[in-house]
Amino acid sequence: MEAQRLEISRLFARFNFGPMPGQFTQALRDGFSVTSQNLLNATQPDPALDALTPPNLPDVGTRPSQSNVAATKAFNQLVKAQNEDLVLWWLDRMAIAKNPLIERMTWFWHGHWATSIDKVNFALPMFNQIQTLRVNALGNFKTMAHAMFHDGALQIWLDGNDNVKGAPNENLSREFMELFALGVNNYSEDDVKALSRAFTGYQTVRTTGVVTFNPKRHDSDAIKLFGVNTPLDGDTATDLVLARPECAQFISDRLWYRFISSTEPQDPKSGLVTAFANREIAPVVKAIVSNGALSNPRYSVVRQPVEWFIAVCRAFNLQPSKLAPRNLSLGHLLKMAQVPLLPPNVGGWPTDEAWLSSASSQFRIAFAGALAKQIDFSQLAAVPSEKRVTYIKDLLGIYDISSRTFTALTNAKDDLPQFFILAVCSPEFIVNA
Amino acid sequence: MDTISRRKFLQLTGAGVVGAGAAMLSISDIAQAAIARPLPLGTPIVVMVTLYGGNDGLNTVVPYTDPLYYSMRPDISYKPASVLPLSDGLGLNPSMVGIKSLWDQKKVAVIRGVGYPFPDHSHFSSMAIWQTASPIRHISSGWLGRWLDTQSPDPMLAISLGSVPPPLFAGVKSVGSALPLGGLVIPSGKLGMRCQTLGKATSTDSHLMAAAAQSMSNLFSVSDNVTSVLKGPAPVATDLPVTNGGNAGGDSNLQQQLDLVAKLIAAGAPTRAWSVSLGGFDTHANEASAQSLLLANVSDSVTRFLSSLKASGRASDVTVVIYSEFGRRVKANASQGTDHGTSGPVFVIGDRINGGMYGDQPSLSKLVDGDLAVTTDFRDIYASVLQNDLKSDPGQVLDGWKGRVNLLYK
Repeated sequence: MEAQRLEISRLFARFNFGPMPGQFTQALRDGFSVTSQNLLNATQPDPALDALTPPNLPDVGTRPSQSNVAATKAFNQLVKAQNEDLVLWWLDRMAIAKNPLIERMTWFWHGHWATSIDKVNFALPMFNQIQTLRVNALGNFKTMAHAMFHDGALQIWLDGNDNVKGAPNENLSREFMELFALGVNNYSEDDVKALSRAFTGYQTVRTTGVVTFNPKRHDSDAIKLFGVNTPLDGDTATDLVLARPECAQFISDRLWYRFISSTEPQDPKSGLVTAFANREIAPVVKAIVSNGALSNPRYSVVRQPVEWFIAVCRAFNLQPSKLAPRNLSLGHLLKMAQVPLLPPNVGGWPTDEAWLSSASSQFRIAFAGALAKQIDFSQLAAVPSEKRVTYIKDLLGIYDISSRTFTALTNAKDDLPQFFILAVCSPEFIVNA
Repeated sequence: MDTISRRKFLQLTGAGVVGAGAAMLSISDIAQAAIARPLPLGTPIVVMVTLYGGNDGLNTVVPYTDPLYYSMRPDISYKPASVLPLSDGLGLNPSMVGIKSLWDQKKVAVIRGVGYPFPDHSHFSSMAIWQTASPIRHISSGWLGRWLDTQSPDPMLAISLGSVPPPLFAGVKSVGSALPLGGLVIPSGKLGMRCQTLGKATSTDSHLMAAAAQSMSNLFSVSDNVTSVLKGPAPVATDLPVTNGGNAGGDSNLQQQLDLVAKLIAAGAPTRAWSVSLGGFDTHANEASAQSLLLANVSDSVTRFLSSLKASGRASDVTVVIYSEFGRRVKANASQGTDHGTSGPVFVIGDRINGGMYGDQPSLSKLVDGDLAVTTDFRDIYASVLQNDLKSDPGQVLDGWKGRVNLLYK
């Protein structure tokens, strides 16, 4: 039973964004096997999620000249509003999806192909990129990689526009191999140079993210990449990269790193590399969930700030865009150093201890305090006060509560907002056992 | 929400991970320590300035008398008349007026061609190498972290600005502290008491849960009765001209970091090593304007920092070291930018430094695969800093490294 509680707690914390009221106790009754099958079957209808309208993101067009102060101000406001709408829409999806596996995987891939709107500037290309990641979140990694090569936001982010025959720009080609497909040291410096030549000639419209191929800017000579000497373009070169055997080890390592442990190496017994042989993502995720890693007590993880916030939203029926003010969550997430679409760099966000500083403690308490003011605690109030600790443990999907946290919560059991703040700031909730 | 522009390369794939237990200090922590046991005047202090992204060394210290420089970079070179001449045919980027004036006062050492064997072109790997000082073997401890390991444990000894401590300060046993720019605010009353209960250790805690509890308890391990020292304004740089409209760098986070460091040094913080940083140097495209803004920021911030320390009597105790994970490719790309390269100049600045040129300027006619050769091993600089500023045995921290930058210190 205890072992099962650990696995189910991890299932919700890592492959979901956290249980909605009642889901965790139901899962304990159903058992791990049924619960994980339900979770991995991400195709159930979800009318509430479907009803959430995507943000309206018309092409903002050309930036007005700086001398036109009023037009510049309006343009900047429009850009800012679109960006906020997009992030809030995504947070809403994470919070209300009945089975958020697809959103969870999209979030993982966003950290993998980490692209920042800070340089891309415009919401429309970022929206397209997130949609590409969503459509392929559990699909084929090769399809995803081809689509990402042709993704306008990624091209802008890594200077693809500037990569032309005769003077290639290596930014995209290097990160493509190092961070997206193969891992550092699994290619040579000559391969980086060769791949950048293959990637020449793709041009992107900044405000829309539309990518076109301009043969005049493309290096059509034979290019020697991984020992093959032949003319290449973005797609044929991507195929060569993804065919490297290192790809399976690297991608399965990255999944392991985020979902299981950032410090312990991938357990070969989990069979992840084999599961990824055809570059299909769903079988690897299934293997991570099903092949024993979730029951190994060594593999705990820290919830990243977005994951922490969404877990709170799901447990307490909050929808991020409906908080007051509307962008409340964005300010707090910024202080906690994690806002979707704003990764710190192309390597994505850090893990585990990076989120455990006193500064983050302070910002987490402040965020929880702000949320406490907007939560309807009537359900919690209906629970007899001596049963509240047990209730919130199941509500949040916590594996176990230590004596220290039990004491703190018991002392606060009649002050519901404070009880809430302490529960969601407890080490047992911040860290998924 | 579109204001994060620093690209920090911390704790990533391949880079060292800072261990649990990194203390997060409040300003009052440091004030308390400064009053109880101020650093004796005359004790050397090191300030590491990390430029994330790979600063283009050739356009920082410009070989403006070399025709090859102009033929290889027709679009992004600086004209001879625009650079700030130093010596040996080299001149500073036109935006680095402050550092030029320190050079004229013989306080700036420009160490040329600095790098390590088998240069790595990955931001993450290369920064990990610079911070761990271990170019061949992958290790997770930082070089100043290993220096901390040789000292009696003291959370005040090494402090980085920002909420995430850099791998630089992660030792095997000890970890440097981190200080968020805004300081810390602690919940009070019953909530505060109960939060402190959440910060208690229990025997059942996993490694990460213990770290989570520790982060909560660190928030409270603050004596908040001595803040007056640091509530005042930062020391004023009286001998610098006041410019209207601020610095060329605009709103500068580096300047805020260094202002805070200046304040704490002036108050007597018992801190021997500080770490500050600035990101944005990954100039694959349209390099000239971006880099000159950043370099102006660095130059102005450092100059103001040193100047503001004068009144405290500690200005001559401080050595500033400015470095980046690599330089950039000699030949520009088609986007008026440069790709990842190899060696670059390191600046060592302070009253106790013998100003001048060190190391050989890498030749533009003898490139290695299109990149500058490495003429000075970065560990020579670290060893000199350890020996002269931190009074420690460099070999112990740098795996027996014997090299030094000769005559760097007075």
